[in-house]
Amino acid sequence: MIEDIRTLSAQYAADPASLVFLRLGEALRQRGQVDAALKVALQGLGRYPHLPDAHDLYARILTDRHDYATAFDEWDTALRHAPHHIGAHKGIGFLYYRAGEREQALYHLRIAASLDPDDLGLRHAVERVGGGAEIWDMPMPDAPPPREASAAAAGPSSAAVPNPADPFAGMDGGHDRLLLVDADGLRLGGGLAAPDGRNVSDEAAALLAATTREAARAARLLELGGWAHLTLEGEALSACLLMPSPETSLLAAMDTALPAGQLTYFADRAAKAARAWLERVQ
Amino acid sequence: MRAVEPWVVAPLRAFVAESSARLALLMTSSGQVVAQHGFVGALDLMSVAALGAGIVASSSELAVTVGWEPFRVVAHQGKEQAHFLAWFDTPRGRWIALVVFGSETKLGLVRVFFEQLVEDLAAAAPPEEEPRREVLAADFERELNASLRALFGR
Amino acid sequence: MTSQFQAMLDGLTRLRGVRGALVVSLEDGLVVAESVMGGLKGGALAAIGATLAGRAVELSGRGGFGRPRFLHLQGDDGALLVAPGHDLALVALAGRDVPIGMLRLEMLRTAERLG
Repeated sequence: MIEDIRTLSAQYAADPASLVFLRLGEALRQRGQVDAALKVALQGLGRYPHLPDAHDLYARILTDRHDYATAFDEWDTALRHAPHHIGAHKGIGFLYYRAGEREQALYHLRIAASLDPDDLGLRHAVERVGGGAEIWDMPMPDAPPPREASAAAAGPSSAAVPNPADPFAGMDGGHDRLLLVDADGLRLGGGLAAPDGRNVSDEAAALLAATTREAARAARLLELGGWAHLTLEGEALSACLLMPSPETSLLAAMDTALPAGQLTYFADRAAKAARAWLERVQ
Repeated sequence: MRAVEPWVVAPLRAFVAESSARLALLMTSSGQVVAQHGFVGALDLMSVAALGAGIVASSSELAVTVGWEPFRVVAHQGKEQAHFLAWFDTPRGRWIALVVFGSETKLGLVRVFFEQLVEDLAAAAPPEEEPRREVLAADFERELNASLRALFGR
Repeated sequence: MTSQFQAMLDGLTRLRGVRGALVVSLEDGLVVAESVMGGLKGGALAAIGATLAGRAVELSGRGGFGRPRFLHLQGDDGALLVAPGHDLALVALAGRDVPIGMLRLEMLRTAERLG
């Protein structure tokens, strides 16, 4: 149940040093007020840099913002302070699952389930990742060797952490909603995750260049003039395709439920970032 | 791409590029190959040309028998590939085009660019210097072999 | 059936700036029904719309976007719009400065009736 934001805000204003920021940040996050939640979480972390729950809250907000690499680091920090932190095990389990690292995901989700056996959602998640209810008959495995945090967060075939080599460094969705490819359909940067978390970057990259070529041809044959973009509304995700440069194609994706007009705005911003990056590296 | 008559190359090349055809063959209505794209063996080419000309002839005959205009286009859709076979008139007489294409394109697109090909060939054909003689059966094999040498560079 | 399609298409081409609308077979890109302005080749529009829709369906499948409901190719001088169904698609060509939002809604409504 979402707590009353007005009451929590009043309590937080009355005592900024209290731990009420954890409840307020979570309430804001659940209401979809992610920017406000982020502000509260960062203020809290500033006061309590060693508080595992503060890192857990911050990581959940980062996940909402699709910044999985930083979220992984935050949950990892939480576990270093509190090895039995349920939220951190759940979060890291989710990120490993999203990256296709089933063994690692199962390990963390089973630890979380053992710490909170009444959490039915968690039990279902373990069974889903583990391949059925028989998983409970299997002994708890030893910890698998940890993967590099950023690699797990970005996906099995993605390039690593946000860095100067990343065209979308610092952008929301830079790892799972923005994809830049060359004319041969080879990935230059960014990544794409399907709604179920699967990393589909390379599969989509191969088709992206061909689709933009088809769009350019359609525009030429129908005498539409220079083409600006191709938008594609799917049942789950919508995508906007454009060419930041003559040799590259860009795909920007958003949940279909979000306002359609935001998509081209998002794609244009990403195209600007891609062009700037291309100028730097070429 | 190889052609017996060089002026055919540019229109056929444009057609192949735009339609994304895998194989393309232009031949006279008697089965003499004029140009080809994508075939790797002379035997394949000979068989395909003979069968293509035969299909056009038999489907035209079928149409005439039932009192219709001769079919101009015959298309066969397979699971992996499809083919499009059509006759058309050029300044050099009636020719046949056989196009094999896959899932990367569509029949509608092949048809659209085929119409363009017909126009481009009509525009590109140089004026004939002497009247064409009928191809006699006795000449057929010799001419076919000469065409194949041109088409495969042998 | 074709006359039913024709009525749907005529409804779309009455909208301002719509130069043509067609019902197209997605499998082969051939025209099923059309309502186009003079000078516009329905066969070409159908084939191009269906080919682009085919690419989009493939990309949507690989990217996990779900079945595509609508495509919008925007050019400087006009737009190509496609509402793909299961076997058929609704394809429209709009001129410059056409309110795409309104046309999109109308096409989605019409496409629902295609099945």
